[in-house]
Amino acid sequence: MDRVVLMLSVLSLGVSSQPITDGQRLFSIAVSRVQHLHLLAQRIFSDLESSLQTKEQRQLNKIFLQDFCNSDYIISPIDKHETQRSPVLKLLSISYRLVESWEFPSRSLAGGSAPRSQISPKLSELKTGIHLLIRANEDGAELFPDSSALQLAPYGDYYQSPGTDESLRRTYELLACFKKDMHKVETYLTVAKCRLSPEANCTL
Amino acid sequence: MRKVLEVILLLLLLVFTHAKGTRYSPPGKPALTRCRSPEKETFTCWWEPGSDGGLPTTYALYYRKESSDTVNECPDYRTAGENSCFFNKNDTSIWVNYNITVVATNALGRTFSDPVDIDVVYIVKPNPPEQVAVTVMEDKGWPFIRVSWEPPHKADTRSGWITLMYEIRVKLEEENDWETHLAGQQKMFNIFSLRSGGTYLVQVRCKPDHGFWSEWSSSSYVKVPDYFHREKSVWILITVFCAFIFLIVTWLLHMNSRSLKHFILPPVPGPKIKGFDKQLLKNGKSEEVFSALVVSDFPPKSSNYEDLLVEYLEVYIPEEQELMLEKSMDLDVSCLKSEGSTSDSDSGRGSCDSHTLLMHKCDGVKEGRERQAEEARRHQKDWKEEASTYSNVDSSPDMSSGRVKTWPSVFSPLPRYSSNQQGSLETAKQHYLSDSLFRPSSTSSCHTQPGHGATEALGPSYWECGLSNKQPHLLHPQGQAQRQLQAHSDDNISSIGRKPTPAGLPSPALRSTEYVEVQRVNEEDMVLLQPVSGRCGDVEGYPQVPHGEDYSKVKGVDGDNMLLLQREVREETGNCDTPSTVATTQKPTTCIHSAMPVQGEAVLGVNGYVDTATVFTLPTY
Repeated sequence: MDRVVLMLSVLSLGVSSQPITDGQRLFSIAVSRVQHLHLLAQRIFSDLESSLQTKEQRQLNKIFLQDFCNSDYIISPIDKHETQRSPVLKLLSISYRLVESWEFPSRSLAGGSAPRSQISPKLSELKTGIHLLIRANEDGAELFPDSSALQLAPYGDYYQSPGTDESLRRTYELLACFKKDMHKVETYLTVAKCRLSPEANCTL
Repeated sequence: MRKVLEVILLLLLLVFTHAKGTRYSPPGKPALTRCRSPEKETFTCWWEPGSDGGLPTTYALYYRKESSDTVNECPDYRTAGENSCFFNKNDTSIWVNYNITVVATNALGRTFSDPVDIDVVYIVKPNPPEQVAVTVMEDKGWPFIRVSWEPPHKADTRSGWITLMYEIRVKLEEENDWETHLAGQQKMFNIFSLRSGGTYLVQVRCKPDHGFWSEWSSSSYVKVPDYFHREKSVWILITVFCAFIFLIVTWLLHMNSRSLKHFILPPVPGPKIKGFDKQLLKNGKSEEVFSALVVSDFPPKSSNYEDLLVEYLEVYIPEEQELMLEKSMDLDVSCLKSEGSTSDSDSGRGSCDSHTLLMHKCDGVKEGRERQAEEARRHQKDWKEEASTYSNVDSSPDMSSGRVKTWPSVFSPLPRYSSNQQGSLETAKQHYLSDSLFRPSSTSSCHTQPGHGATEALGPSYWECGLSNKQPHLLHPQGQAQRQLQAHSDDNISSIGRKPTPAGLPSPALRSTEYVEVQRVNEEDMVLLQPVSGRCGDVEGYPQVPHGEDYSKVKGVDGDNMLLLQREVREETGNCDTPSTVATTQKPTTCIHSAMPVQGEAVLGVNGYVDTATVFTLPTY
C-alpha cells in the first residue's frame, strides 16, 4: 500500500511537472494557430466588405446590429479586468467552447475561395490543442458549475435556413462573428499563457 | 400682461430671424471622424462638427451597445479634448459593438450624425514607444548603434492582453531617406553599416497584432565616431607602396626597353647581301647590282690559295730526331707533324691529320729505319743520282724550334729551289702543300720512287727513309728553300731552314719531304732530279736563282699511272750534279715527263697541279 501511494505520488508529480514545460509549448502552438485563424478571418471579411457597395454595407451594418452572433450565449469576459480575474482553466474552457461552436458553421463558410476551405480543419486542430491544454491544466479538476461549458450549444437551427437572397447577409454575419470569436480565443490563450509563464515576460 | 410680453418676444424673435434671413439655421451634420483605443481598455471618439448655423450649437454623443437597447451618453467630453468623447475602462467593453451617434443641437434644431459601429478590438492604436535609448557600441573595432525602448506605459503587454510589434527607422541627419527595420516584439535593435562621423536620427513605433500603427517616437540623435581614419591610413600606405613599385617597374622597363622590345618583338632579319646595294636595285640597273656581288677574290687564285695553304704549314721535328739525324746523317725518319686540325678543319685533312697516326707510322718507320738505313746508304748514291720525282719534299730540319703546318699539298713536280725565287717559293709552298697532302695519305708508305731501280725496292717506307737519307744533303738547300718559304709564309711556318745544316732532325714521328729539283734533262728525255742540298752550291742565304728547269707542274697522268710533269724552262745555272734518273716518258723535248707510279687518279689542279690527296692512295703496310 505504501508503495502504491509512493508510485502514485511520483506519477502525479511527474504528470504535474511535465505540463509546465509542455504547456508552454502547447500554448505557443495554440496561440499561433489561433492567430492564424484570426488573420484568415480578417482577410476573408475584408475581401467581402470590399466587394460590397457602400449602401449595402450600411444595410449590413444594420443587420449586423440586429442579429447577434451564435456564440453570444457563451459568457466570456469582455474586458481586461474580467479576463485577468478569470482563472486559466476557465479561459481555456471558454476558448474550447468557442472553437467548438464554430466547428459546424465553418463548413458553410467554406465554399469557393481557398482560404475559406482552410478554416474548418484548422478549427479542428485548434480544438484538439485546447483540449490538450485543458487536460494539462486540469490539476485541480475544477468542475464548473456551469456544465453547459462542455455542452454543445444549440446553434444548429440558427444557421439552417439557407435562403439565397440572404446568403450574402449570412456570410457577412458569419464572417464578422467568426472574426470576433477568433480574436477572443487568441486573447484568452495569450493571457493564460502569460500567466502560466511569467518568466517569458509575455513580450516575446 | 405676461402673455402680451411673451407674444411680443416671440414676434421679435420672429422678426429677428426674418430680418436676418438665412443666417440662422439648424446645425450642420456632425461626423465622427475616428475612434481610437490606445491600450484596448479605453477608447476615445472624435467628431467633426458641421456648420453651426450661426447659433451656439451643442454636441452630444450617444452610444448603444449591441447587447442592450439603452442609449447612453458620452460620459466624458473633456478628457480627450474638444469634440471628443472619452470612454474609460468601466464603460469600455471588448468584443462588443458600439453604435455611436453624435447629435448637434442648436436653438433651431438638432442634427444627427451618421452612426458608427465600432469594436474596440479593431480600433487599437497604441502610443509611441517610450524611453528610446540610442547608444553607440563597438564590435571588434566596428561601431554600431543599439536602440532600446519601452512599450507605451499604458499598453499592458506583460499580461499578454496586448501584443505589440515594433518598427525602427534610421536616417542620416543630412539625408531625406529613412531606413526602416522591423523589430518584431523585441525591445532592442542593432544597426550596423554606419558612416564614419555621421549623425543619425532614430525613431521607433509600434503596432498591436490587429490594429493601427502608432505615431513615430521623437527623434533620437546619435553621432558615430570617426573610425575610418585607421582604415584610410592603411589604404593610403598601400596606395603609396603600389605607386612606388609601379614607378620602379616603369623605370626598369624604360631602361630595358630595347632588350624587351627585342625579346617580345624580335626584329625580322632583313636580307643583307654583302656588296648588295639596294639603291642600285631601285635604280633598276641590275647589272651593276649583280656585278657588285661578284667578289673579286673569288675563286681564289693560286697564289692566294697557296698562301692560305702555306699558312697552315707545320712541320715539327723534335730535338731527338734532330740529334739522330745529325748522328746518322742517314736514315732518319722525319715525320712531319701536321697540325692543322686543331685550328683549321680542312677537308683535305681528315684522318690523315691524325697526329697519332703519323706518330705511329713514323714509329713504324723508325723501326725499319735500321734496315732502311742500310739500304738507304746503299742506295743513297743511286738515289742521289736518280731523280726522284717526288714532287714535294718537305723537310723541317729544325723541328725543335718550330713547326710548320703543311697543307695537304698537291703533289707537284719538283721545284727547283735554287732557280726559283718567288716562283719557287710559291711552288715550294705548293710543294709543301702537296706534301702535306701527300703525307697523310702516304703515311703508311713511301710513295716516292725515285725512278725505277733500286729505290723501288725500298718501298714506301723508304720514301721517308729516303728522304731522311737525303736529309743531310738536302737540308741545306732545303733549309734555304725553307727559309725562303718561311719568309713568304705565315707564322705557322717556323724555323724552317734556320739552320743551314740539317741540325734539326725531324722526329721519327715526322716525315720529311725533300725538295728535289730537276737538274737537267738528259738525252734520253729523262729528268734528272737532284735533291736540293748544300752541295749544290752555296745555297745558304742564296737567293734562289732559278736553275735548271722548273718541273713543278704536272701536266697530267697518263694511262699507265704515270705522272707527267711539265717543264718550265728557266734559267739554268750550274748546280749540283745530282743526277737522278727519271723514268722515261713519251714526250721528248719540251715536256719532260717524269712518271711516277701513281696509284689512283690524278686530278689536275687549276694550274696543272695534282692534288695528291686524292691522287695517291699509297699502299699501306
